[in-house]
Amino acid sequence: MKAKIVNKGQLSGLLDKLAKDYDLVAPVKEETITLFKKISSAQDAFLDYTNSDVSPKGCFLPQSEKIFSYTYTGDSLEIVKPESAKKTVLFGARPCDIKAITTLDPVFEGEKFGDEFYSSKRENTVIIGLSCSKVLSTCFCYAFGGGPCDGTGSDLLFTEIGDKYYVEINTDKGQALVDANSQFFSSENTDQLAKDKEELAKKLAGEFVKKVDLTGVKELLDSDFELAYWDEDPYKKCIGCGTCTYVCPTCHCFDIFDFTTGDITGDRIRCWDSCMYPEYTLMAGGHNPRPTRKERIRNRFMHKLKYHLDRYNMVGCVGCGRCIRKCPVNIDITKIINDLKEVAQNA
Amino acid sequence: MMNLTKQIREQAKKLLEEKKVDLVIGFGQGTELARTTPVFIDSPEGVSALTWGPFCANNLAKYLIDYKNAPGNVAVVVKGCDSRSVIRLLDDNQISRDKIVVIGVPCAGQLEWQKVADEIKPDAALKETVDNGDSFVVKTSTGDHTFNKKDYMLHRCLVCENPNPVIADFTIGEELPVKNYAERFAEVEELEQLGLEEKSAYWDKQFSRCLRCYACRNVCSVCTCALCVFDQMKPMWVSKRTNLSENTVFHITRAFHVAGRCVDCGECDRVCPMDIPIRKLNQKIHKDLKDLFDSPTPGSKQGLLSALGEFSLGDPEEFM
Amino acid sequence: MLLKRLLEYVGFEPGRLTARWISASEGAKFASTMDEVTEKIKSLGPNTKMRDEIL
Repeated sequence: MKAKIVNKGQLSGLLDKLAKDYDLVAPVKEETITLFKKISSAQDAFLDYTNSDVSPKGCFLPQSEKIFSYTYTGDSLEIVKPESAKKTVLFGARPCDIKAITTLDPVFEGEKFGDEFYSSKRENTVIIGLSCSKVLSTCFCYAFGGGPCDGTGSDLLFTEIGDKYYVEINTDKGQALVDANSQFFSSENTDQLAKDKEELAKKLAGEFVKKVDLTGVKELLDSDFELAYWDEDPYKKCIGCGTCTYVCPTCHCFDIFDFTTGDITGDRIRCWDSCMYPEYTLMAGGHNPRPTRKERIRNRFMHKLKYHLDRYNMVGCVGCGRCIRKCPVNIDITKIINDLKEVAQNA
Repeated sequence: MMNLTKQIREQAKKLLEEKKVDLVIGFGQGTELARTTPVFIDSPEGVSALTWGPFCANNLAKYLIDYKNAPGNVAVVVKGCDSRSVIRLLDDNQISRDKIVVIGVPCAGQLEWQKVADEIKPDAALKETVDNGDSFVVKTSTGDHTFNKKDYMLHRCLVCENPNPVIADFTIGEELPVKNYAERFAEVEELEQLGLEEKSAYWDKQFSRCLRCYACRNVCSVCTCALCVFDQMKPMWVSKRTNLSENTVFHITRAFHVAGRCVDCGECDRVCPMDIPIRKLNQKIHKDLKDLFDSPTPGSKQGLLSALGEFSLGDPEEFM
Repeated sequence: MLLKRLLEYVGFEPGRLTARWISASEGAKFASTMDEVTEKIKSLGPNTKMRDEIL
């Protein structure tokens, strides 16, 4: 695997050039919130953050997205599709969020059905990851096979070491970007930096506070859908607000509706939806297979810990910890995992 | 604080043992040092899960709505602000008085957990919290930390109107004095001074961050509609898109739908994942209710008729 | 009244929203109110808030 170096002083030059040649999406700080937005110059980027409040999945699955516009005159129906995605660079995403994007890929780019809206964004985006330099008390990416300096899924991975960025080139897409902007990448010897990165990864691995052990959890969930565990605590305190699903980088449920202001034109819109809302599984006719919060909470955790694995052979959670931080009532997936492990052991 | 925790546990135990209630809803230790989580205790042995301190920001009155049709009685631990919700729910006939037991705890303020967590080692264990008047001392396994209230408390606590519960069957601990309440509308007044363009720009910036997750609506103790207008599909009054226009409609509509019933508990503001200052909208309405109709904060006394639910001929009006 | 104040607080121009109590038999009052409001909002110009493009 090839590697290069970008001196810290040159980063803003690189970002400015990328902002000119592409749609550059990077973390920005708005008052107390860090989120990913399109920026027009390097100075708008905010890189001194642990993790953003909302994940960058919005680059591929936006909160609201127009699928097409239509004009329906009764005799004819005309459909106008939106333009295909622009060339984009997503800069500064953390390893957990990038891993999350790879878990979204099989959902939207399946063998039988492909989602062109997701795919066109995915193809046209270069993902430049940024290794973590700090671990939060709510982080637990290690539990799902990830790590603070893990480059899986990124086209390039930047790791900050001293006054340089150690850049690993992981795909051809990444290589192409480096070639096109070679003035910012130096080819000095990277062996020492590679070693420093290993040290950093080891150091950060020792800083995780949450101890998460998945032993036996999947088997337990496979064996019993009606576990008594779900009758107790987690669902009672849940207020069904949907915050967890919206900040989660792997959640991908959506709703589609047509919007019109009453005349013959309108738009078909896709937007995020949440399985925590009661209407999510409400069917025409009034039946709701998940009528209470108990079923909905059970569904959420089954999806993260079992269904996604069953379907796509990939974990449904990447351990970013946003749901733990943002949940108003402190529902904690790591506690649920550890509780389930105990139930599995005692069974 | 440990003393108060013990008293709450004893009170809960007694209620459960004497079968006066089947369930006690209170605060329990959360998964982070500076957090608590709602706990639902249905047996006398379980009361050891209850705790109390400056990390008990949740308004537990909201859960009473879930249990209104449950067969037994429910006890709930409430702070001053939460107790206003209880009164509001009683006045709205959402819950009945004989089914609930209110355990009121005078509250000296709640800390913002993220600010506290930032300053304490992540693997520390919480030992005790002490109220020192102007500050809280948080004692942990890795040392003691002092947090002065002015900088670390939730904004809503700085202008608290009811540190003591306004309704309670049992009161735990001593009553506390009201402080700084006169500055209650300072933030609203600050915004009102701005010019029209600036106000518009300020709120546009805030609303454009909205994800429409509806956490604010779901945590609200007076948002009790069986089918919320924002969930209706036919007709779709407000679509689910998150552009500025729809977000603005959502926030203004919600603030207006709870107007006159909102008890100013500030939970909507606390739970917003995008830190939108939602309470400033609700507070503006409270200020106007006071200025126009001399209306006290809803829920601060039982039997107060809803400000928008009744009128007197002497009311100010601009529309005849 | 509360709604008017709330809208102004969020940045709508005063006068965008007018509320009037008019009985079904007060035809003249209705007509004159409509004229007033029409003039008022015409003088304010097109509304710029809560009307951005559909995505």
